[in-house]
Amino acid sequence: MCVSAAAGVCSSSVEKKIYVELNETVPCVRLLNATHQIGCQSSMSGDTGVLHVLESESDLDWILSSGPHPPYIVIMETAFFNRSVMMRMKSSSRVAGVAVIVSKTGLADNFSPHTTCPNQNTGVYSASYGSDLANCNVTVWNPLGNGLSYEDFAFPVFALKDENQTQVIRKCYEDHNLRVNGSTPQYPLCAMQLFSHMHAVTDTVTCMRRTDLQNRFSINPEVLCDPLSDFNVWTSTRPLNSSAKGHAANESVVLAATRLDGRSFFWEQAPAAEGTVSGIVTLLAAIQALSPVTQEAPPPRNIFFTFFQGEAFDYIGSSKMVYDMEKNDFVIDLNNVHSMLEIGQVGLRSGQSLWMHSDPVSRKNDSVNEEVLDLMRRMQSAAAGLNVSLGHPLFTQPLPPSSLQRFLRARPIPGLVLADHQTLFNNRYYESMYDDAENLNVTYPPDLNPDEQLVYETDAAKSLAEVATLVARSLYLQAGGEEKSLSNITADPKIVSHVTNTHTRTLGVAVLLLSLLVTYFISSKAELLFSSACETPTTAY
Amino acid sequence: MNLERIPNEEKLGLSRRYYLGGFAFLPFLWLVNVLWFFREAFLKPTYTEQPQIKSYVKKSALGLIVWVAVLTTWITIFQHFRAQWGEVGDYLSFTIPLGTA
Repeated sequence: MCVSAAAGVCSSSVEKKIYVELNETVPCVRLLNATHQIGCQSSMSGDTGVLHVLESESDLDWILSSGPHPPYIVIMETAFFNRSVMMRMKSSSRVAGVAVIVSKTGLADNFSPHTTCPNQNTGVYSASYGSDLANCNVTVWNPLGNGLSYEDFAFPVFALKDENQTQVIRKCYEDHNLRVNGSTPQYPLCAMQLFSHMHAVTDTVTCMRRTDLQNRFSINPEVLCDPLSDFNVWTSTRPLNSSAKGHAANESVVLAATRLDGRSFFWEQAPAAEGTVSGIVTLLAAIQALSPVTQEAPPPRNIFFTFFQGEAFDYIGSSKMVYDMEKNDFVIDLNNVHSMLEIGQVGLRSGQSLWMHSDPVSRKNDSVNEEVLDLMRRMQSAAAGLNVSLGHPLFTQPLPPSSLQRFLRARPIPGLVLADHQTLFNNRYYESMYDDAENLNVTYPPDLNPDEQLVYETDAAKSLAEVATLVARSLYLQAGGEEKSLSNITADPKIVSHVTNTHTRTLGVAVLLLSLLVTYFISSKAELLFSSACETPTTAY
Repeated sequence: MNLERIPNEEKLGLSRRYYLGGFAFLPFLWLVNVLWFFREAFLKPTYTEQPQIKSYVKKSALGLIVWVAVLTTWITIFQHFRAQWGEVGDYLSFTIPLGTA
């Protein structure tokens, strides 16, 4: 390690002589729920280690057992960022931190750090409700999931997004740390310091208790954690008095829902194109398509559109809405809800097919079953003339992870979840930072500038517009509207493409949400510093 | 203060005051008593007040050892088990370290 960096000779500060600061880095942060902590943690003054680039199995052995200068900071390409490598490093004390180079080259054909059975403990299926369907016994929804997002790492993990700085790191490694002809490199060596100290520990209960103690007894209270909180968004075709609470008289609403959030392993890097944006765009386009006809020929029932935030973390948004409805603290309550249509992941249709998922347990009741079959029939008639072929998975298959499950926990509401997958997800990058526009097959002709790209109607946009038209027409029929007005309801692909392009370009719809089921925390600064050997050999003393 | 220049009765008075003061949960007074009067009590040639000073020094040393034992035991237990005690541990703590359990 270079200690004798020139001090007296140069006029810039010593730190600038030793460290090269890296920007465009994203840490993995610590998250808490009621019982556990997940994510990554660094030491209070950062974790320092000798750099080593992981390019092969022998590198892994060097880091974990044979290298003479532990601890090591491991730089790895995307290809090595998988469960087996990370778990081996997790159990080793010779790894001081990990930095992942984010690039599409060498990306495996699937990567999902989420669990294989998302939200398995907070859905509707449990030991007392469809016990043989619980815990993904029948269908594993995300079989490609490696569960990395839910592991607790004792070292910092960062994502390096700047290509130029990655080159600088590589050059330093090659100049000083590379093994030449089997000989071990000697000091001075290239090293890296990762700093992402997290204040939150153990679980939410502990964190809230300590926050309370800080606020009551400390002169300068420390922030220990922030709750995951944000807002759901709702609207309706017929206006509702938003300040009235409890049961709304003479209102029977059809709920149209989708989720608003996504997540990934790293902080705020969640494009969630197929996982979330496809649903948002479809529902927005459906709302826009329905607006003229609901003015001219309003259907008997109200249509209530809602976007739930925080669904990745045990259904924060939808469980809050159900809770408020049960406590008569919302504009409508569960008795007002006639039926529910949820838009799941709809961006990656194979061919023309779209699947209507329903809950087999509630359908054992005949009246609920009748309503569900009616809803399916109306959707089939709405699909006439569109480039969509609707199907229904096996009756014995449970619902995929969806907000409808939280409503079913309270009341057996007839509902469907619309998705592009029959059994497991078509999304091979579920809840990861690679679920972006490219995953949705959004491609432009090569000669367009960014402004033209924004309004260009891609194939993905056209496909989503078809789904949106189907959703709008189905909702109109379900709300009691007439078949003859159906042809006037069409989603505009231009709107769809504009919204899709904007959404998939903006960075992560990170998860923030209303009730305090999960708390997470980020330290005041997460810096990545990087030390190199002396550039100027003329040491001062 | 130089003990050489003080008459013996005053030395006895000092040692007694330090000994009695230590009972007010002030073990450092006993520590000072032991260290300061050790030479007077055990290494100087005998004089009238010396047996009493010797007894004060011995009793202070005993009290000091008891305090050290109790404090060491409590500190070890607290440092080791505070994280596991959850709520009780937090309410007993003055400052809680950030980032570790």
